[in-house]
Amino acid sequence: MSTLVTVLRLPRGPDPNGRGFDPNSPRFVALCPTTISASTETGTDSVEIGEEQRARSALRESFLRTLIAMTNKQVQFHMYERVKVEAKFGASDIDVLNFQVSELQTPIGVQKEALLRCQDVISYSFDL
Amino acid sequence: MAMRQTPLTCSGHTRPVVDLAFSGITPYGYFLISACKDGKPMLRQGDTGDWIGTFLGHKGAVWGATLNNEATKAATAAADFTAKVWDAVTGDEVLTLAHKHIVKSVNFTQDSSCLLTGGNDKIIRIYDLNQPEAEPQEITGHTSAIKKALWCNNDTQILSAADDKTVRLWDRNSTEVVKQLSFDMSVSSMEYIPDGEVLVITYGKTIAFYNALSLDMIKTVDAPASIHSASLHPDKDFFVAGGDDFKLYKFDYGTKEELESYKGHFGPVHCVRFSPDGELYASGSEDGTLRLWQTAVGKTYGLWKCVLPEELVSENSDTIYCTPAAPEIKA
Repeated sequence: MSTLVTVLRLPRGPDPNGRGFDPNSPRFVALCPTTISASTETGTDSVEIGEEQRARSALRESFLRTLIAMTNKQVQFHMYERVKVEAKFGASDIDVLNFQVSELQTPIGVQKEALLRCQDVISYSFDL
Repeated sequence: MAMRQTPLTCSGHTRPVVDLAFSGITPYGYFLISACKDGKPMLRQGDTGDWIGTFLGHKGAVWGATLNNEATKAATAAADFTAKVWDAVTGDEVLTLAHKHIVKSVNFTQDSSCLLTGGNDKIIRIYDLNQPEAEPQEITGHTSAIKKALWCNNDTQILSAADDKTVRLWDRNSTEVVKQLSFDMSVSSMEYIPDGEVLVITYGKTIAFYNALSLDMIKTVDAPASIHSASLHPDKDFFVAGGDDFKLYKFDYGTKEELESYKGHFGPVHCVRFSPDGELYASGSEDGTLRLWQTAVGKTYGLWKCVLPEELVSENSDTIYCTPAAPEIKA
């Protein structure tokens, strides 16, 4: 009699909420113990790594707090190709790839709703 | 009569999949990267097709993608005129290499220290990844867009295929042409097998095998349809090919006999590659999917489980669906 081939399950597809690369996977944990590319040189001891991690956490936290503080405020964005635009900041996506803004003032008119691609932004500023 | 085959379908891409590459075998298994016109190359576990992550950053279609042997680095070539190097564990972008035109091909050396790029500006470039700011070494000569550029002969030479209907072998140090092959039509794909120094080239309906050092022809095989890509099994007993008629063909390398053909894709097959252990092969198609096919149909491997008829009546409720030897299942 012929044998049958069954499939245990289908391959898992992408997660719609993020870009993957699970930091809890065995490979990630083994190959990126600090998840800090700057401090993976040999000779870095755990005290230095701890300090670096604390500094990074503090910086990350203040960055996230600036995003909260910016909500609904007028923000000026300096972008490549000498582009300067101003808009009301709405929100960022989880990977900080896009900023959702409203009333984006551009040289060719005001865009009611827009997404700014973060990698195109050089700097941005706003008044607290 | 041989069994029909149910491929494992990996969805996620929203546009045609134009290139794919496997890593070597690592302590964590082997991995697969797919290049897609949606600009978002994906990393998957090689033996199951499970999605691991998406490399985000390119602003245009990604035409070429590769992994280093350890699957710690990835490189991609895109229509946004850049090649990018990525950390394949974290998914972070490590380097962006600006070019003057669409980049089509990227390839790491065995030790991952150098990256080879080629594209529509007809120039082959060698980047030293330890000195990314330094100007790349350039190799000129092709008169049309380069489709593929690969390291060969222990990274001392380079093989390139271009739309000028030539395949050229270059010396890395002198940057001179060592040998050249000319064809009547454009080469659609090229695969280099270091073990045994075999070069697999496809053009029209032909799959051709050459000695990669001398560029002497070993043999050619004709398929029933126009072929876009082919791959030789690591043991050099079979090769697989896919192209315009949406099917995957499996041939005996020794006798050149067509052994099997499999339907499954809903569009032309653009790329096909054997896994490093030869147990499966992956195909990418215009239909936006990747499909994993078993080399030995009926073997238990990865997500495939061979079930004897007696076992089916037991309380094994894990199975989702089975393929009997008769009608094919339309997904």
